[in-house]
Amino acid sequence: MGLRKDPRAPHHSHARGGALHAGHAALAAWLVLPLVPLVLWAAADRWTAPAVLPQAWGTAGLRDAVDAGAGTGFLRSTVLGLVVAALATPLGAMAGRALATHRVPLGGAVLAVLLSPLVLPPFAVALGLDVLLLRLGVPSPVGVVLLLTVAALPYTTVLMRAAYAAHDRGFEDEARTLGATARQTVFHVQLPLLAPALAGAAFLAFLVGWSDYVVTLLVGGGQLVTLPLLVASAAAATGNEAQVAVLSLSSVLPPLVLLVAVGLVGRRARA
Amino acid sequence: MSGTLELRGLTRVHAAGQPPALAGFTLDVPAGSCVAVLGPSGSGKSTVLRLTAGLDSPDGGSVLLDGRDLAGVPPERRGMAMVFQRPLLFPHLSVRDNVAFADRVRGVPRRQARERAEHHLELVALRGYGDRPARALSGGQEQRVALARALAAEPRVLLLDEPFSALDTTLREEMHDLLADLRVRLDPTVLLVTHDPAEADALADTVAVLDGGRLQQAGPMRELYAAPASLAVSRLLGGRTEVPGTVRDGVHSSVLGALAVPRPVPDGPGVLVVRPEAVRVTSPADPAADATGTVVRVRRRGLRALVAVEVPGPGGASVEAELATGEELPAGRTVGLVLPVADRAVVPPVDGTPSDAARSPISHG
Repeated sequence: MGLRKDPRAPHHSHARGGALHAGHAALAAWLVLPLVPLVLWAAADRWTAPAVLPQAWGTAGLRDAVDAGAGTGFLRSTVLGLVVAALATPLGAMAGRALATHRVPLGGAVLAVLLSPLVLPPFAVALGLDVLLLRLGVPSPVGVVLLLTVAALPYTTVLMRAAYAAHDRGFEDEARTLGATARQTVFHVQLPLLAPALAGAAFLAFLVGWSDYVVTLLVGGGQLVTLPLLVASAAAATGNEAQVAVLSLSSVLPPLVLLVAVGLVGRRARA
Repeated sequence: MSGTLELRGLTRVHAAGQPPALAGFTLDVPAGSCVAVLGPSGSGKSTVLRLTAGLDSPDGGSVLLDGRDLAGVPPERRGMAMVFQRPLLFPHLSVRDNVAFADRVRGVPRRQARERAEHHLELVALRGYGDRPARALSGGQEQRVALARALAAEPRVLLLDEPFSALDTTLREEMHDLLADLRVRLDPTVLLVTHDPAEADALADTVAVLDGGRLQQAGPMRELYAAPASLAVSRLLGGRTEVPGTVRDGVHSSVLGALAVPRPVPDGPGVLVVRPEAVRVTSPADPAADATGTVVRVRRRGLRALVAVEVPGPGGASVEAELATGEELPAGRTVGLVLPVADRAVVPPVDGTPSDAARSPISHG
């Protein structure tokens, strides 16, 4: 039911449809092509210079990646991404709501502060705060989560601010007069209506945690070995390209899966 | 199901320093009646509904339901349901679950809530539409679902905020018929807000005219047409003829001459207003004619024509008259005008505070 097409949607002309399809194909190629050599490398036991395709296929890359700790790294990155998303999404939603409803004095200045992590070089921020966190005695994994949550806030805030600005408060007024409490209104009306935006914000926040390198390395002090750290160290070491390819693929695929999931949520909400 | 609503001196100031959106508004809505609040946009009429529903809180005055003061009672516990100009159907729910919403948040089991929703969809002639997504409906159907959803909440007072204004004429009349039918079957108490006198006339037992946040006049529509209390009321109801003059001993003197006024009016300056439907156009030689003048403009209005007649004199005066069906008059023709005594009304010259009599609440629906 959710995916049923809106009967009022305008029909595209054939010419426009064709151009659209060509555009989609180009975009897909743009995204997929860089992955092709990665996939080939991941399954290559031997692939030397002049050959167009690997000379020997195998699972040596996968074995090496698992030996290097890909499994636990994958798990750590997932947990880190989820924790950052779980913190930055509700915070961004609250900040976005407050900013969109103009209940914040000097809203522009507050927004600028919230956006500042985008402007400041993460390396400098991480180095500076590392010292502070050490002095305060904050455990390094907590420090990593804190910093990455702040880094994810600009994305979730901006996205949720736009969502709340487009959100019609009339739906909530209507729900209240129909007998819904303020709490029921949030859970039965506001959140379902904002689900696509929330999914998008959570996705972006997850990516911040999932893909971070600098903060995890500097503040985590090498204790929190996530997938990006493994990829970097494997890529910096001797040429085991198959292992690097497997590690890279395992850090690319989860966001892709999530992206499709978020897209589906959005489509269901618009149907 | 239906309750008695009393609004007592409701005042609301949106922002400090600005004139109040609503000032000392008093209105009675007897159980089972339909009362319309009629006013131009920005007159504060939507504020009346928001204060009644508890969506905003008044800066003064009170809302009473069956004699109980609702101050501090949140919207969900007031026993009111509102239908807005926009249908506001929840897009993530089917038509049936939209109608079942009030029952569901009250904790009625899903199955039972859906059965009741089906019943209310039948009431608005949308049987079989329950499975559709809320967005797959036309504008008129959406507003029917919104009405069914509000009725399913079994409100003690049904609040309608310009619910049919966005619909085209045919659909609007269908909705008027539907609402009249629902009133007969369910006997709800209805407080309606509209800017359209025809809609107020078609739906309401009594009408309260609001302008600039103040109640101008309240009573049955017929009474408002016959004896508007102010220029604002006269204009809002489509009155076009306004002849300034002076009243003395129940006679209004102006360019049109000395005309007796049917109702007692205080002596002093006053504006004579008369509805175009009431004015009769006759020959200039007709002894019954109250004044003579020249047709300066003819406007078509369906089968009838609306003519503006310029009466000469100091300052001059323009009187508008609706001709009988099929009657034609060219511009430039000299005609006589009959202003029947019963249809004459005199209002205060400046559009200001209405008389105390107009402020009194509606006594009965």
